Amino acid sequence: MSGSPPTASELRSQALDALGQASNQDELSDWHRDVLGRQGSLGQALRNIGQLPKEERRDAGQALNQLRQELETAFNDRQDQVRADALDARLVDERIDVTLPGRTQPMGGLHPLTQMQREALDVFAHLGFQTVEGPEVEYGYYSFDMLNIPKDHPARDVWDTIFIDSGEKEITLRPHTSPMQVRTMLAQDPPVRVVVPGRCYRYEAQDATHEWHFQQIEGLAVDKHITLADLKGTLAEFARQIFGAARQVRFRCDYFPFVEPGVDLSIDCPFCDGSGCRVCSNSGWIEILGAGMVHPNVLEWSGYDPEIYSGWAFGMGIDRLTMLRYGINDIRSFYQNDLRFLRQFQRARI
Amino acid sequence: MKVPVKWLKEFVETDLSAAEIARRMTMAGLEAENIERIGEDWDNVFVGEVVNVEPHPDADRLVLPTIAAGEHELRVVTGAPNIAAGQKVVLALAGARLIDGYSEELKYRTLKPSTIRGVRSEGMVCSEKELGLSDEHEGILVLADDAPVGVPLADYLGDEVIEFEITPNLVHAFSISGIARELAAILNEQAREPELVDVEALERRDDHVEIAAPEHCGRFTYTLFENVTIEPSPDWLQRRLIAAGLRPINNYVDISNYVMLELGHPTHPFDADKLASDEIIVRLAAPGETLTTIDHVARELDGETLVIADTERAVAVAGIMGGVDTEVSDDTSRVLLESAWFEANSVRRTSRQLRLTSDAGARFGRDIDPNGASVAAARIAELVRVIDPEARSVAFADKFLRPRERRPVAMRYTEIERLLGMTVPVERVVEIFERLDLQPEVVDESGTTVIKTSAPTYRNDINIAADLVEEVIRIHGYEHVPETLITGTAVPVSRSNERLVDQIAQNALVEAGLFQAQTYTMINEDDLLALSPDGNELPDLYGGYARPEEALVRATNPLRSDWVLMRPTMLPSILKIVAENLKYSPSVRLFETARTYQPNALDELPDERRAVVLAMSGERQAFGVETNEPDAMDFLDVKGAVEHLLTRLGGDAATFTAVEHPSLHPGRAAAVELDGVQIGVLGELHPRVAAHFGIEQRVAVAEIDLVVFAERFNAPWNVQPVGRHQPIQQDFAVAVEEATPAATVQAALQKGAGPLATEITLFDIYRGENVDAGTKSLAYRVTFAAPDRQPAEHEIERARDRIERAVGREVGGTLRT
Ligand SMILES: [Zn+2]
Repeated sequence: MSGSPPTASELRSQALDALGQASNQDELSDWHRDVLGRQGSLGQALRNIGQLPKEERRDAGQALNQLRQELETAFNDRQDQVRADALDARLVDERIDVTLPGRTQPMGGLHPLTQMQREALDVFAHLGFQTVEGPEVEYGYYSFDMLNIPKDHPARDVWDTIFIDSGEKEITLRPHTSPMQVRTMLAQDPPVRVVVPGRCYRYEAQDATHEWHFQQIEGLAVDKHITLADLKGTLAEFARQIFGAARQVRFRCDYFPFVEPGVDLSIDCPFCDGSGCRVCSNSGWIEILGAGMVHPNVLEWSGYDPEIYSGWAFGMGIDRLTMLRYGINDIRSFYQNDLRFLRQFQRARI
Repeated sequence: MKVPVKWLKEFVETDLSAAEIARRMTMAGLEAENIERIGEDWDNVFVGEVVNVEPHPDADRLVLPTIAAGEHELRVVTGAPNIAAGQKVVLALAGARLIDGYSEELKYRTLKPSTIRGVRSEGMVCSEKELGLSDEHEGILVLADDAPVGVPLADYLGDEVIEFEITPNLVHAFSISGIARELAAILNEQAREPELVDVEALERRDDHVEIAAPEHCGRFTYTLFENVTIEPSPDWLQRRLIAAGLRPINNYVDISNYVMLELGHPTHPFDADKLASDEIIVRLAAPGETLTTIDHVARELDGETLVIADTERAVAVAGIMGGVDTEVSDDTSRVLLESAWFEANSVRRTSRQLRLTSDAGARFGRDIDPNGASVAAARIAELVRVIDPEARSVAFADKFLRPRERRPVAMRYTEIERLLGMTVPVERVVEIFERLDLQPEVVDESGTTVIKTSAPTYRNDINIAADLVEEVIRIHGYEHVPETLITGTAVPVSRSNERLVDQIAQNALVEAGLFQAQTYTMINEDDLLALSPDGNELPDLYGGYARPEEALVRATNPLRSDWVLMRPTMLPSILKIVAENLKYSPSVRLFETARTYQPNALDELPDERRAVVLAMSGERQAFGVETNEPDAMDFLDVKGAVEHLLTRLGGDAATFTAVEHPSLHPGRAAAVELDGVQIGVLGELHPRVAAHFGIEQRVAVAEIDLVVFAERFNAPWNVQPVGRHQPIQQDFAVAVEEATPAATVQAALQKGAGPLATEITLFDIYRGENVDAGTKSLAYRVTFAAPDRQPAEHEIERARDRIERAVGREVGGTLRT
């Protein structure tokens, strides 16, 4: 080493110059080692103090220690700066196309009839109805006889029925979910409030609005003081939950042997708000289900005294309701299960 | 039933439009299905008169009539053979929209002036077919002599026809007058009665009728007409029959049909001279007796068939159809007009037995009013008087075995409020009942107001108080029923585990990326045969189920040969859907939760067992655009979905064991077992089975029972506290023979490691360098953890030793280092 050791101010300006040059963590580490490290220039300078005249040593030592503090601070600032710059650079670098499709697991979906059924049952659950199920392959006794549709009665012709090979007993594919009215009442004491979802079958040619294989929800409420007005109010609640809060409901007289009086329920058309359109055949109303007060014979045969108890029942077609809700015009699409159809129900309502 | 509105308005006076009548009736229980408007598109079509007819100069078969119609008078060209001067005809002018009379199918054309064989024609005279009135196109339509010349045809012949659905309870409205009676009640009008002739005052021949089967026939009447002339009915009558959907035949048949439509009571005219005598016997057919009905079908009758007979033979199937030998024809001079009443069940049985339906049978089969028989006879006599004035009604016979009386039905006034949840003033109830001819009487029975009524004999649908309540509200108006909610006792909660399991399974498989299908529950034998590789025998396993010993659940009247059996497995149904979807979708992932049907003994209902079926085929969906291209889905994809499902259902203890299954790939099939019981099967379909369903690529399926999960649904499961201590993970590579199942190796690892190993995961399979041929190396990551401590070094060491021994002992493997 030639000449006199560098002064504190010389060291300072050199070190700060070099620090200003350091632009990444490695260079900063090198700088730290070269300047502030054990073998660094500052350490060297401190060790060289001993060579100074005694009276200068104290001042020089103080100056170098101040310098160390200053350089440590400068280093930390510089390091913060470099890190911040590096982060900024990385963030710029990581910019992506946010319109790329997301990275997902393959997504499935519930069948539209399932969604409609779940939604309907959910509404009725809130209204205090239990969900029960019954057999699809059902004795004619429950499908008809106990429902006030005796053998050889002309009303029986209304249900075009598929029959099952059997011996003495008549066995049907149930043409409606109504047999569960009787099975439920036979199995329990009043009060009764049940809904019965399930598949039903008719001997009926297929077209865009008719299926031989379809799904219903039956409803039954029996107690003292159950009235037709309760039926109207309950079904109005249901209609408003499913088709919108503004829906109006309307009864008209209809005939089902197991109810008296018997009615059909219509809602004002949700597509035109009742002013008339193609969906409602310009009538402003759309029929959604059949219902009525449980016939006294059905109550009595099921072990309920019709003088004391009254009740109502309804049966609605889930297929038809789903068609109405989504503007589907061919009932057969439910059972074709084309994925291009099913994918449209990935959006869920329940 | 089709109801021409002009006819209806003969019985009830109203200005209401057809649409409004239809609406009001529908609300009250008679549903109008359709309104047809006859003459709706008869623009530029008028009633005309033929002034003269000149020959066509150049064509023998064409003539040139001149037609006058009000301000119009023009010469047209026609080929109609029946045109003559003085006739009233239908004149269409240019611009009229007519049906093409020469076209087989229904085709409209707009009339334009044209030149036919050199003669200019500005209009035409129309046939019935061209106007859409019937299929008749031989000649032109000739109108009645009193048709008003010059008026638009729509004003003269136009009508509206409402088609009502007649539900089984509405037999009293199965006629024009019955519907009119209903309408009158709704409108608070009085329905008119038809004009009648008092046939009962004619010479009586009651002893000429013998009812030998009184349980089938409650009444038989006939009216005898002499000096009759058989000819086409007048225009107006034909027109009404056509509008109501019947074909005119001749005047007597038409009158009989007309009265059936008008009053709802069927009758039948016989040629009296073709009967052995005027003696009529109503009896059961002798077994094997034959009768050729007017549709010219020879019918063999059984001993329960009620027939009308003369002293020698059967001449009609009672209540359904007459015989061809005794039908009225052009040379008939005496008509014996039957008007009777038959038991509904008897008529329905015979109709089914002979597979013979008719308008008469449809009415008798619903139990019409026996009192209507003589009214119909009286109405027919009146129409004969008008239409065939030369004819004479000479005698009347009536055997009335079971007269029907009005039926008393009473109702407590409070019943209205109890059933409807609203009140209707007692005066209003009485008014409604009076309008319906229920003859109400309000009485006080020890403090209770009771309304006594008597139902008319034509109302077989009013029997109990609830029926009266319906009459009140349907006439009063359902719009008055308020909307209320049920009050009173709440119902105890009971949720169905099966439904919950079903929902969880559906949700789990949707999470696993599958779409839910809902398929028809019926299949046929071929679908089951297709589940065996050779396709010619039933496999001994249907999906996850053993082939049942009982005959499968079979429909006796299947809608189509495709849908004969209630499916014992869901595999065929889902495979058909997969095959369809593969035509359009590269990746097909489907499942269905539904019932399978396992037969029980004769006359017992089958077990309907809830299960889930999965099918996956085609591309495995890539997880993002930057990842590698998709592979074809296989066994492990469907297994992954099944594992996901089992986890959600609490069945993650289920095991998978390689099995042979007739429908599945011999090397890629597994039985799913839970607690030692098989609950399902999964695997890739045997390629030949797949081919039977039209699938030429890999397809992996599974069928798993769900009931077992419902049964264990309420079993408690205990959550382990999460340890606060750091777990230790160590990797173990196990070299075993190629054939050793990974699950067995893992079980050995678990056995060796003991409870300290809380999780064992296979993360790599290696074959090749440093691993002997015929051997594979399975790498497992084992997590060691204890609730109360971090496992110590020496514990891990000991576990490692035990693992090594267990692997050697259980699967003949070695730990690689
Ligand atoms: Zn609408």
